[in-house]
Amino acid sequence: MTLPRWTREPMVHFLAAGAALFAVFAWQGEPADPASRTIDVSLEDRARLALQYERTMKRPPTDAELDTLTEQYVREEVLYREALRLGLDRDDAVVRKRMANKMDFLAQSMAETVEPSDEALVKWLADHPERFAREVRYGFDQRFFADRAAAEAALGRLRAGGAVEGEPISLPLSIEDASRSRAAEQFGEAFVGALDGMKPGTGWLGPVASGFGWHVVRLRTREAGEVPPLAEIRERVENDWRAETIARRRDEAYALLRGAYRVAIAR
Amino acid sequence: MAGSRIGAACLALAASLALAGCDGAEREAQRAADAEAAVAIAEFPQQVLWGDTHLHTDNSIDAFGFGTRLGPEEALKFARGDEVTSSTGTRARLSRPLDFLLIADHSDGLGAMRRLYDAPRLLIRDPTLRRWHDMMHESPEQSQRAVAELIDAAATDSLPEAFRDPEGREENMREIWDAHLRLIDRYYEPGEFTPLAGFEYTLMPGGNNLHRVVMFRDGYARTSQVLPYSGLQGPIDDLWDYMDAYEEATGGRTLAIPHNANLSNGLMFELTDSQGGPMSADYARRRAMREPVVEATQIKGDSESHPFLSPNDEFAAFGDAGWELGNLPLTERKTDTMLAGEYLREALKRGLSIEQRTGVNPYAFGMIGSTDSHTSLATGDEDNFFGKHTGNDPAIEDRALEPQDLGTEVGRFGWHYMAGGYAAVWAKANTRAEIFDAMMRREVYATTGPRMTVRLFGGFDFTEEDWEGDWVRAGYSRGVPMGGKLVDEGKAPTFMVSALKDPEGAHLDRVQVVKGWITADGVLHEKVHDIVWSDMGERPMARGKVPAVGDTVDRETATYTNTIGAPELRAVWTDPDYREGESAFYYVRVLAIPTPRWTLYDAVRFGIELPAEAMADAVAQERAYTSPIWLGRADPAPRAERQAGWFARERFRG
Repeated sequence: MTLPRWTREPMVHFLAAGAALFAVFAWQGEPADPASRTIDVSLEDRARLALQYERTMKRPPTDAELDTLTEQYVREEVLYREALRLGLDRDDAVVRKRMANKMDFLAQSMAETVEPSDEALVKWLADHPERFAREVRYGFDQRFFADRAAAEAALGRLRAGGAVEGEPISLPLSIEDASRSRAAEQFGEAFVGALDGMKPGTGWLGPVASGFGWHVVRLRTREAGEVPPLAEIRERVENDWRAETIARRRDEAYALLRGAYRVAIAR
Repeated sequence: MAGSRIGAACLALAASLALAGCDGAEREAQRAADAEAAVAIAEFPQQVLWGDTHLHTDNSIDAFGFGTRLGPEEALKFARGDEVTSSTGTRARLSRPLDFLLIADHSDGLGAMRRLYDAPRLLIRDPTLRRWHDMMHESPEQSQRAVAELIDAAATDSLPEAFRDPEGREENMREIWDAHLRLIDRYYEPGEFTPLAGFEYTLMPGGNNLHRVVMFRDGYARTSQVLPYSGLQGPIDDLWDYMDAYEEATGGRTLAIPHNANLSNGLMFELTDSQGGPMSADYARRRAMREPVVEATQIKGDSESHPFLSPNDEFAAFGDAGWELGNLPLTERKTDTMLAGEYLREALKRGLSIEQRTGVNPYAFGMIGSTDSHTSLATGDEDNFFGKHTGNDPAIEDRALEPQDLGTEVGRFGWHYMAGGYAAVWAKANTRAEIFDAMMRREVYATTGPRMTVRLFGGFDFTEEDWEGDWVRAGYSRGVPMGGKLVDEGKAPTFMVSALKDPEGAHLDRVQVVKGWITADGVLHEKVHDIVWSDMGERPMARGKVPAVGDTVDRETATYTNTIGAPELRAVWTDPDYREGESAFYYVRVLAIPTPRWTLYDAVRFGIELPAEAMADAVAQERAYTSPIWLGRADPAPRAERQAGWFARERFRG
């Protein structure tokens, strides 16, 4: 079964969630108008109170305790509505912050549990190849010299076919198939940057500067980083999709609401 | 009637909450196991792995209260090299990714602050908790005040009952722990990036810091069978019991890493057991087995050495200022007699002393660095310091000058914070098992941030010629690496030491061997040997000391040049003072040339003037400490590879 594209739009989800919430409230008889003076405490409401109590106290409430909780709930509801009538919600930082948090939570909650389809992840992978591409890998030889002049002299000897050991330092003379980050960790970013500017198989080049000194380098291989198939990196892709979808829904939901406002800021 | 219907509705609601993805964890475990099996294990460690074993996220009660709103997922992404946005909106990224990360949120009140924050106000009965709830929602300043109150309450054992109630705690913890374990399994990429499970056990009797980070070797299938162990009052033996029980029940493995010994007011490395009685061989063995590694350096100071204990060591005072005033919340001032139980070099010496008496060394530990950052951001670099907590992240201009909430009146200031360090691990592959096992064999070292590569091998026949060939292989085949033990055979030990600078960082000033030993009459000694340094020809030793390397730091621009120092220093060194029968330890300290501390970078960035005392401390020599190599008699009973439940069985037998 394929759903039309619009059903995948987060904005639609958000509106649908809002509509559902409204429907629930309407069905529960919750007054859309806080000015109403009717309070219905449904069985579901009481179940929620009981469950909250149980989560805190590690046992269900007795009937008497539940009645007390219900009474407290009613009391708070009455005072809450009266407070709304008096407009007390408008200048309370705590209330404002808390309600804003709830709106954010509403927008992102759906993305936290939903299982993305393979198609969605394949598309995600195709849209963001740079995040999932394997690293570039290098194979090279290098000789180290503290001074540039010594490195230049050695370069000449190496090009003429001579053997040069270089000066002692605890770095490998030869590297096979090292990822970019590994090479950078050992030789530093400047050195690896220089490798990117070389053509593999063109013999000894340099000298190349690093945090240690100077190197003459023979780049043998450079393998471009390819994007692996989804099956191999599904977890990574799903992590990325989920984290970003949550953030995006929250931002889009806000943008949608924000669009309906005209905001004037005095400077 | 109504009651039973409500009960049924409750059940349905609870069931729907619990349903979410039990099969997910199994699938995840299988994926991780497959990926682990595909990682090649080297014959011996080839490449040092960098990580942080001590990072807090918004699940930590204090971190959340201090304003951190980044969770474990952002922490993992940041550590593996992604860019994230800090809690105050600053873009943050590591210059180089880390190889592993242990998120060590406080087990006490795990997630409690977030829960308190999210809780319906109606259900918060406790007036203190209700006040904290309101403060957290009101403003960042009020939120920080709430946490300061909370830490004080914890230190003085006066937390509200609701925070201490073990049953209520358990459910909160179960939910957060479970979600956390699933998350880190999802981010585990064997061979590339390894999140380890663990937590911080915040033992703090009377405000004296006896904190430990607990690390697990295992994935969800095992770690989800337990909850993080909590309790502020101890004794520490209870934690070890918990660790024994975990290993017995699950077949998994766990270790504990003490930290901030410098804030323990002498209690971290006592000569007695935790009850004040004489230390027995069993107790000593148990401590050494459970706590093979200690955090030597982190944001809240450096615990390697102190000038009072090491008056002949001109580099001993690094990272001591401010922290040496007293315990963690400064409820008790420190006296000089307490220092010996706090600093690691002295503890290593005490270990020899206890070993002479009991036959077992309780303090045969290795050393690592970590951050203890409470921002979800594992930043150990001076030029990228995101603060101890969100209340002093880099968006805050005068964070270097601000008095710290804990103990404001007696003089700990922002500039006393260090930028934090990293743990360097010589593992054979980047997997949980290999990293854990390297910690157990103490093949690890600490740095204060720079990623220097340091090798140390001890043996009896190393020579300068070994550098010509494959000296690493020679080190492993003819000696022991850092963390190992040499058996005294009547010959002076020789050490092969190599220190390579961080390719992106400062040159090196010198390499030292710190030796501690005990003579037959039970007297402890220490000596710091400069074994190799830069420009040895122009910088000859004078009266037993190598002259200072110089200082290229421009205070106006917070820059330095690598015109002094050396990119690599290495030496083969034989102990000139060796005497047969004297037990000893040898560890390496590497000093870089002077570089700006985070305070100087801040001062330049914001154009603020540091007070004289802070300015004098704004340039420092970053450093590395290796785990020691010990020299002594053969262990009477060699340590079994697996000792799960050893102590419990031993105790029941005896």
